[in-house]
Amino acid sequence: MNTTLPVITGIGSVTPYGPLAGLIPTEASLQPSAITAWSTPGLRRAFLVEPFRPANIVPGLKTRRLDSLSAWALVAASLALRDAGVDLNLMDRSRIAVFFATGLGCVELTMAFYQSAAANGWAGTDPITFPETLSNAPAGHVALFHDLRGPNVTIGSKSFAAESALLQAASLLRHGQADMAIVLAGDTLTQAVYEWYEVAQLLDPACFSQEPLSSAPGFVPSEGVVAMVLEAADRPASRPYAALGAGRWATGGDASAGVRQLLGDLQPDFIIYSAPSASSSSTCSARDLFDERATIFPAQTVAAGMGDSGGLLHILMALSKRPGSGQALLLGTSAHGGYAALRLELR
Amino acid sequence: MIDARKTIVVTGIGVISPYGIGLSVLRDGMLRGQCCLNPAEELYPGFHGTVAAVGALPSLIEDDRYSRTDRLAMAAARDAVADFTGSGSILRESGIVMASTVAGLTEIDPEISQGPAAWYQNGGLTRAASYPVSRVAASVGEQLGILGPACAVSVACASGAMAIALAANMLLDDAAPMVLAGGSDALCPFTLSGFNSLQALDPEPCRPFDQNRNGLNIGEGAAVLVLETLDHATRRDATILVVLRGWAMTNDASHPTAPQKDGIGLALCIQRALEMAACGVDEVGYVNAHGTGTPLNDIAETHAYESAFQGRSRPIPVSSTKSYFGHCLGAAGALEAAITISAMQNSALYPTLRLTNPIESDQVDWLRGELRRQPLPMAMSVSAGFGGSNTALLFGRPRA
Repeated sequence: MNTTLPVITGIGSVTPYGPLAGLIPTEASLQPSAITAWSTPGLRRAFLVEPFRPANIVPGLKTRRLDSLSAWALVAASLALRDAGVDLNLMDRSRIAVFFATGLGCVELTMAFYQSAAANGWAGTDPITFPETLSNAPAGHVALFHDLRGPNVTIGSKSFAAESALLQAASLLRHGQADMAIVLAGDTLTQAVYEWYEVAQLLDPACFSQEPLSSAPGFVPSEGVVAMVLEAADRPASRPYAALGAGRWATGGDASAGVRQLLGDLQPDFIIYSAPSASSSSTCSARDLFDERATIFPAQTVAAGMGDSGGLLHILMALSKRPGSGQALLLGTSAHGGYAALRLELR
Repeated sequence: MIDARKTIVVTGIGVISPYGIGLSVLRDGMLRGQCCLNPAEELYPGFHGTVAAVGALPSLIEDDRYSRTDRLAMAAARDAVADFTGSGSILRESGIVMASTVAGLTEIDPEISQGPAAWYQNGGLTRAASYPVSRVAASVGEQLGILGPACAVSVACASGAMAIALAANMLLDDAAPMVLAGGSDALCPFTLSGFNSLQALDPEPCRPFDQNRNGLNIGEGAAVLVLETLDHATRRDATILVVLRGWAMTNDASHPTAPQKDGIGLALCIQRALEMAACGVDEVGYVNAHGTGTPLNDIAETHAYESAFQGRSRPIPVSSTKSYFGHCLGAAGALEAAITISAMQNSALYPTLRLTNPIESDQVDWLRGELRRQPLPMAMSVSAGFGGSNTALLFGRPRA
């Protein structure tokens, strides 16, 4: 068992902030944009990834037949590896894992497959599309493009898919089952997803008008993929963002007790809230756990809009504010009673 | 010296399969050589094929919040803990890792694509809520009152085995006192249509590893294993069924859907599981293969066995139990892990059905024809899937 802490050495992202290697420029601020990809019964807004050509960012990348989630995963992973300064040719690629967290998977092509069934009947569906509907297609494409032959895992977890992926990828490194992991988390926003939120009355009023975000219950849907390179230990010449300490997540129970047990005597310098809904009052329920000197990064609206897979974007946005070094706690609580807590040592 | 806190054991198994509910029902059916594959034409207009379906589901879990996949998972999970005698807090704090590829696709119609909002307003909203794969794990938690860490794995046909591997890692991390791990998938037009469009289905009952194999059949079912550390199991005086001696996951990184022709990625996976267990190639008495019956998979898998078990004093006994009730996709790896354990418990090496003209290999002992009876101290279950993922699980009998 490796007793050193796994470190985050590279970050890549394809989010409403654009495709980026490393941190998000701190001056970047976003307003939801109008949806034009499908016809809407009036103004509908969300945090959207602007169209871009993946091959312009990662030369040689072919994504024409892929779900956007796969294309974004490929770009984000490549940017993260670039940011980490990793030369894969010097590494044993059979010991590099890919760990992908998603709430809904490849919904774009799943809907395209349903469209082909609606048009032609189930006997006339498209064979090219079918494999790309599988949730693990993005992670498979990342492995294929970079020839990564280690464990390749795709998971979902209610509210905390990203946090769960980070913890489980770190576990692979700790137990010697991989030397490096590319951890990705993301989702795409489609008409079917957006309208589900709308019919379920989960959206912020700002989705339907040009008004700024309100404090009313509800959220603004978002999309994108964030990738982080996780290495078993500091590598010479690497620029670690953070080391990943212990963590835990649960679907219920006493969140405060769980967090206290995780922290022991440690008082974190920073609290990074991750939550499926930024406006959820439960995100503040653990405030009394911490020393008042702790700097708190509230849940970020753009990241919260990604739902189950928003955890990595919460971390990225907090790191981008360059809080300095120190002990941090990533803490998410859900309206359903679950929680996720990860100790991070910011470098 | 065994470290009981780092030794993972299986203390419960729950199954729902085309044979019915329970591992013993599955075992008895397989010992009889009963095949559950049947012609089916009503699954969607134009489908003429062979599938294996589960009969009536327990009525206790009739609830439109749950997809058929969820309900299969819940039935298997309940069966897995039916004999659990520990304190309620152990179960409550347990983890869940459930695999699925289909998940709530069973509940969604193609009409959703013509206007999602209208489809939701006409009754689809609750049904669509079962779409995320995470719902399968959440359903098991709701069924059993489990509040520990829960996630779902979706790695195509390697999912069920990978769920067990990840659960083992969670136990090494002390993330939960026990973890319920397995997989569940239901028959569904979406996947049948998809595999049919790829021309991967054999319209007749499949013939894995036969030179005249012609594709796979889809089945449905679920299996859930109760995993815990030896230390924990001993402290609560649980019956230890088997030890999970080794596990490994690799990726072919070769093709989005086709396996690597020479089976190198799968061979590496098997070797890593053997290494973790510090086990020699001669110690493995049986491999429950992925064995889908597709031309490409079975030859690649044969090469993998020839490579991974090179140096054995005698050929490695291999069979595909998909010949009994088809390929249960995300549940397959978990069901086959359960079958592998059943083989060890009953000293019974289940033969591949309809294997009359096997792929030529002097290093693989194809199990076919009569059931073979022999003690089985150690056996392996192997899974692979679209996206290139491979998983190997190596089980050993508990020490007396």
